[in-house]
Amino acid sequence: MHRRFFPLLLLLLGAALPAAAAEQAASPFFPYPMKVDRLPNGLTVVRVPFNSPGLIAYQTVVRVGSRNEVEPGKTGFAHFFEHMMFKGTKNFPEGEREKVISTYGYDDNAFTSDDVTVYHSYGPTAGLEKLVEIEADRFRNLEYSEPSFQTEALAVLGEYHKNAAQPFLKIEEELARTVFTQHTYGHTTLGYYDDIKAMPQAYQYSRTFFERWYTPDNVLLVIVGDFNDDTLMQAVRKHYGPWSSKSATVNVPTEPPQKQERSVHIDWPQSTQPRHIYAWRTPAARLDTANAAIQTVLADYLVGPTSPLYKQLVLDKQFAQELYSDFTIHRDPHLFSLVAVLQEEGHRAAVRSAFNAAVRELATGKVDASHVEAIKSNTRYGLLMGMETAKSVATQLSWYAGIYGSPDALARHYQKVSEVKPADLIAFTRKYLTAANRTQLSLTPKKAGGQK
Amino acid sequence: MRPFVSRSLALSAALCLGGCATTSQTTPTPAPEQPSPQAEQQAQAPAPAEPLAPTTVPAVPLKQPAPMQVVVQANPASPIVSFRLVFHSGSVDDPKGKEGITALTADLLSEGGTRSLTSAQLLEALFPMAAELSASTDKEFTVFSGRVHKDFLPRFLDIFTDVLLAPRFSPQEFERLRARALSDVRNGLRSENDELLGKVALDALLYEGHPYAHFVGGTEKGLESITLEDVKAHAARVFTQDRLVIGLAGPVDDTLQKTVVSRLSALPATGAPRVELPPVPTTGGRALVVQKPTLSTAVSMGYVTPLRRGDPDFFPVAFALSYLGEHRQSSGVLFNELREKRGLNYGDYAYAEHFIEHPGTTYNRTNVARTQQDLTLWIRPVVPVNGMFATRGTVYFLDRLVKQGIPQDRFDLSRGFLMGYTRLWEQTDQRRLGYAIDSLFYGTPDFLEQYRAALGKMTPESVHAAIRRQLRPEALNFAFVTQDAQELAKQLEEQPPSPITYASPKSAELLEEDKAIISQPLPVRPDAIQIVPAQSFMEK
Repeated sequence: MHRRFFPLLLLLLGAALPAAAAEQAASPFFPYPMKVDRLPNGLTVVRVPFNSPGLIAYQTVVRVGSRNEVEPGKTGFAHFFEHMMFKGTKNFPEGEREKVISTYGYDDNAFTSDDVTVYHSYGPTAGLEKLVEIEADRFRNLEYSEPSFQTEALAVLGEYHKNAAQPFLKIEEELARTVFTQHTYGHTTLGYYDDIKAMPQAYQYSRTFFERWYTPDNVLLVIVGDFNDDTLMQAVRKHYGPWSSKSATVNVPTEPPQKQERSVHIDWPQSTQPRHIYAWRTPAARLDTANAAIQTVLADYLVGPTSPLYKQLVLDKQFAQELYSDFTIHRDPHLFSLVAVLQEEGHRAAVRSAFNAAVRELATGKVDASHVEAIKSNTRYGLLMGMETAKSVATQLSWYAGIYGSPDALARHYQKVSEVKPADLIAFTRKYLTAANRTQLSLTPKKAGGQK
Repeated sequence: MRPFVSRSLALSAALCLGGCATTSQTTPTPAPEQPSPQAEQQAQAPAPAEPLAPTTVPAVPLKQPAPMQVVVQANPASPIVSFRLVFHSGSVDDPKGKEGITALTADLLSEGGTRSLTSAQLLEALFPMAAELSASTDKEFTVFSGRVHKDFLPRFLDIFTDVLLAPRFSPQEFERLRARALSDVRNGLRSENDELLGKVALDALLYEGHPYAHFVGGTEKGLESITLEDVKAHAARVFTQDRLVIGLAGPVDDTLQKTVVSRLSALPATGAPRVELPPVPTTGGRALVVQKPTLSTAVSMGYVTPLRRGDPDFFPVAFALSYLGEHRQSSGVLFNELREKRGLNYGDYAYAEHFIEHPGTTYNRTNVARTQQDLTLWIRPVVPVNGMFATRGTVYFLDRLVKQGIPQDRFDLSRGFLMGYTRLWEQTDQRRLGYAIDSLFYGTPDFLEQYRAALGKMTPESVHAAIRRQLRPEALNFAFVTQDAQELAKQLEEQPPSPITYASPKSAELLEEDKAIISQPLPVRPDAIQIVPAQSFMEK
């Protein structure tokens, strides 16, 4: 298997030249060739031919998320602004974009996270040139009225209401608020309820937000599927080439080190299963460290479906209904978590003890090397299984490229996962999974387990 | 707007290329070489006279494929092998008092281990392969699906077939999965997802007294009464050869087909007799208000309809409902009018057949075919003060569709949209298998290709004629999830105007339209309004 790593080295050399055209060979971690160009205005254009006859996935990754919401009262704005990007321009006033999308039948939407906003369209190659035109137009020339802005704020409020019945939103809010006292990760991507309700008053700020972050040097295009590369790039240069602006810099506050354990409790007013969460402050995802790769493996090692904790707590003793980690890669230091959905409140202490024992065992140097190998195998094959359609390939590329800031980040992240050694888990655990660096969240429902 | 001719040519080219990449075969029935008779029928059949509204929807049985019929979607270039075992068995097979047993049995088979592997060992075996093995149940169908990289095919095949042929039936796993199922009813359904609760409440209302009426995941009392012995017996009754279609996709050869068929031949040949579904009264005007503490009001509405895939009117009505509100697509009338222009909520959708979102997509799940179908509209949560207005708005735009049909320019757009969008419904091996298998039960070979062919022949007039035959706003029934159920019930009963105020200026045209919406009559009968506390919903 190791011989397969050779082509990846070539890929990495290629990736060192993002400002120029670069053609990158397939690798064990990304089995498709990839072309990358950077236009003089800083726009990065990633293309991957993929066997999806007559179809393409077209994604625009903006490196902006709720992390960038530094002004008080403006939480949730990156997500709200994502909605405004569908509102029109002088060339394509509100509703005209939808006509183009409808004409061809694109599946067209967007999502926002802490760190990135991704716009995605999936549909016929026949519409690609028109798509390039309307996408470039809205990123260069977005224009919407204040009433339209105010109306859309209510749709976002509806989105909050849609999610509010589920405990996870409240859990995210309380955990973020407790862990991050300075950094903007202290609020969720959806934002605080009061801020969402106040959004209709923020029209002017929305223009500032657009000018700050929707700039070519802060954007990557990712196009995957069946297309003619020359024709595509010609259209891209024509429509995106004249786009000229530079992204802003804002001071995202640094979170001071955590010196002692924190905790937060939620009394959930309705019926649900109790929860217990351990969350540690951990380093950012960067391509020059293995920290994100180690956490990717560590999540499965501690609470994955074949972990001893899962066997003990979910299958054998049945103290927990579910066990998982919420770990996802982030641009800045974020969280590594263990989450237990408890069978009943009375099992909370036993689950905490089991969490402590599993972490202590790893910290004392006891590690199951075969389990680590199984995780790496799972990760590699899971990646291959997860790239079935042009859209799924594009989404994976966009996510990693957006957070790491490099077009080839997907393959490089997974290469680093393949290199994680048992000793890395021990060292990471000793350094970061300490009591002082931890926040515990407990949630108790009004009526545990839905009993009347 | 591109002329239709060029769009049609582009699509033909794309289909040809698609055909080159993926070959499809169904055994023992070969794929038809000519356009199917059904498509011809749909294209050429003279428009039926407008019938009187039916008083009941009869249970015209779905077709019964040959036992263990094999459907292959060969995709030699893919390294991933997909399995899709579809049993014509679902929650309709739950005996009275044991509601939820089919879904629980499927979970216990797929997760509970095999004779040679405990549940933990099963997970350990699948994990390094990143293999997928799961079960899902609906009213009439249960699917066991699996995916694995070809590097691990022999090992996975053993495990996947053992799940059905040699289940472990561990008492411990039974208790674990039953506890999870109970939590799904008590918490997941009643407390944590107002949209789902509204949809399940509408099912309960439409199909009262019918085997479709209970939640597929079961009722509280039903789940509590199920024993492991019940589950063992139920597995033998409903997961039988005569109810099974075997789907295979990816790098599939004859040897694999034969091996799978040979192994699954160890399933019982037959089991329980098919459940005879009763006719469903098409009574409209009923409302079910589920009361629970919640910030907002969720609304579902619909009626049971004899229209299903294979009916000459199905494609034009599916087209019309897509125009009204394709799931999460911004071109829909309801999405535009209620969300985009009025800011009422996050989205509003309409479906010509029962819709269950395929996770991670905006597309309908496959293999949720039903003998008796429902046509539904769904309003995502709105602030309570706008609950009546949003409901009236939805009925108003449905009514307008029936009265006025679809303007030519919007018709062209919607047709272009579906010509492209329907191709996205068949982009994974599992979904291709799902459609091919559904086609066996509905008698609609090459369903999506036929849909596109039918789209090419529709006109605004032909669609409007089908709409007038099939869409009946007066037949709607309503399910609400809200905090102040008494107040909402009172409004439904008395139907006073429901004015709306906006946070931003609106056009004169929109405000004029609102005048009609705020007084739009809702077809709710005052004597047919029920209030149910969420805590006792799906109790038994």
